[in-house]
Amino acid sequence: MKKDKNLDELFRDKLLNYEQEPPAYLLDNILSGVAGARRKRKLIFWRMAGVAAALLLAFVAGWQLNIRDGLEMNPTVVVRKNLAPEVQSETKNQIEKKTPTNETSTAMSQLATLESSSAIGTNQSKPIARSSESETIALAGEPVPVATNSESLLLKPLKSLYRRIRSEDGDSNTLQTRKTSKNSFDLAEKSIDQQIMEQNKQMLAVENKSKEKVRWLVGAQVSPEYSNSRGSQSQVYASNMLNPSSNSVDLGGGISVEYKKGKRWSLQSGVYYSGLGQSSGNSSNSSSKDLQYAISGSNYFNTVVNMDASTNKMSLNSNAGVIELNKIPSGMVLGTSLEDKTLTSSVIVSQTNFVQNFQYIEIPLYLRYTLIDSRFDVVVLGGFSSNVLVGNQIFVEDGSGKSLVGKTKDMESLNYSGTLGLGFKYGLSKRIFLNVEPRMKYYLNSLNSNSSVTYKPYTFGVFTGLSYEF
Amino acid sequence: MDLEDFKPIISDCIAGNQKAMAKLYRQFAPKMFGVCLRYAKDATEAEDNLQDGFIKVFNNLKSFRNDGSLEGWIRRIMINVSLEKIRKQHLMYPVEDVAIYDSVNYSDDVIAKISADDLMKLIQQLPPRYQLVFNLYVIEGMSHQEIATEMSITQGTSKSNLARARDILKKKVHENFGEINAKNNYTA
Repeated sequence: MKKDKNLDELFRDKLLNYEQEPPAYLLDNILSGVAGARRKRKLIFWRMAGVAAALLLAFVAGWQLNIRDGLEMNPTVVVRKNLAPEVQSETKNQIEKKTPTNETSTAMSQLATLESSSAIGTNQSKPIARSSESETIALAGEPVPVATNSESLLLKPLKSLYRRIRSEDGDSNTLQTRKTSKNSFDLAEKSIDQQIMEQNKQMLAVENKSKEKVRWLVGAQVSPEYSNSRGSQSQVYASNMLNPSSNSVDLGGGISVEYKKGKRWSLQSGVYYSGLGQSSGNSSNSSSKDLQYAISGSNYFNTVVNMDASTNKMSLNSNAGVIELNKIPSGMVLGTSLEDKTLTSSVIVSQTNFVQNFQYIEIPLYLRYTLIDSRFDVVVLGGFSSNVLVGNQIFVEDGSGKSLVGKTKDMESLNYSGTLGLGFKYGLSKRIFLNVEPRMKYYLNSLNSNSSVTYKPYTFGVFTGLSYEF
Repeated sequence: MDLEDFKPIISDCIAGNQKAMAKLYRQFAPKMFGVCLRYAKDATEAEDNLQDGFIKVFNNLKSFRNDGSLEGWIRRIMINVSLEKIRKQHLMYPVEDVAIYDSVNYSDDVIAKISADDLMKLIQQLPPRYQLVFNLYVIEGMSHQEIATEMSITQGTSKSNLARARDILKKKVHENFGEINAKNNYTA
């Protein structure tokens, strides 16, 4: 044993403060490693900020585009009707003539012809010449009212088609080259109907492809919402505070709009209504109990009630903020506290329950990710919401019933909340889906601005509803 | 240098000043390299641990409370990095070995004459688990209970591993340096 101790000591003496100069290059590695870690942290921050900004931008842009498209589509219908007779007559003339001018027109105008013909009428061969004219005019930038109305409908497919043809025919970059090339000549030799059919097929393929990429869903959902109080109060405030006895279950729900790009990711917004509620009863704190009322037994209400003599308003503390009563409920029995010489403090002798209700309009922005993409989708979602306070009531429940008596003071009008959830989406048809989404929402800031109170409840709900995809 | 002298350097390091980091590194690197060498199987592994340890030190300097020993704090990080490396590299089988070795006769004078570099090599040749227990108990002064908690083993295993480490070291001293004594005696 002693031998072991000696051995240990010998090793300890020689190795405890053993020093050796490490290689010089290690310092460079360490400094670059530290700098790399710092850069990485910064990069993660900026990347997150960038993703958030891009998502917001994409959402706003998508929203705006949708509105603009909606506005532009309506006048196009009118244009279509006006164009039809002219188109027929002019096309007839041009087909009869079959002039060289038509053959030597630019490839761009041919394409425009094909595109607008597919967009305009059911008779595909007829509208060619007229549409060609209108598109050529539109491309030249001349302000023609008719062309302007149909611009969005005609130009968008035309441009995409033009890009595709350019990429297919890499060598012929200009329209002039394309016109004089052999391929172009062969194309011109084909019958007009064949060209139209080919181009229409291509257009359909492009349209289908674009439909796969960007989709919109609108839906409506309802949910029972169970809320749970979470927060803290200052010691002085809490010493005379109602005891929250139960949390109510409210009904929430609203309309949602979802923008889906690709198969997995989507952004969701909308307008939701949500309710928060809780019931508070007798305080469990006995420190403020007036002995004179102790004989009242279970009916004794020991939370101090402050009376404002000038306004005749009562106020008392709850965990969500100060309750202010505009009137004294008919069934309530009050007693003046003998311990209070100012006579501004009372106690409620009768058994009373205060029910606080808050209603919010919620505007969410959720990011959704599809974990399983099949007939039965599984989605995770998370995001933030702005909540605008639209309702704030206090009801008193006592022996005589339930009556509206006031509101909670100092409630913030705008709050922010975070949401996490899981979604299950079942396709009832190709476009209609049944959604069931358990979600948890937690308020990020205190709902009450009173400095003595921090009230951040969280709610849990199972949102159920239907959505329509287009 | 006491802790007060290090405070401005620590602040500069937290702010990302590379000169301050180099200064702090130069102050502690030789001693910490010694710590890493004890827990490694060779110098290359010790260099890796020293590098990882100092990167951790500079990234976590914010969490250093200026009420303790900076050297102790850095040493603890080096030991933790080394332990973590061993945990990742070697499966720590709970070997309840109670093998009895033949008692090896050696003189304390033999060890006293062995250089620190050679003792370091002996420790590095120990199996990882014995090396860990020997270092933590003999050099760091930890109790078997603390070692058991640190390594998620029983106190009995810790004691057994320490005994085994001692036996191996004695054997190696005898094999490699046993002649020193004889030679010295002979020449004396």
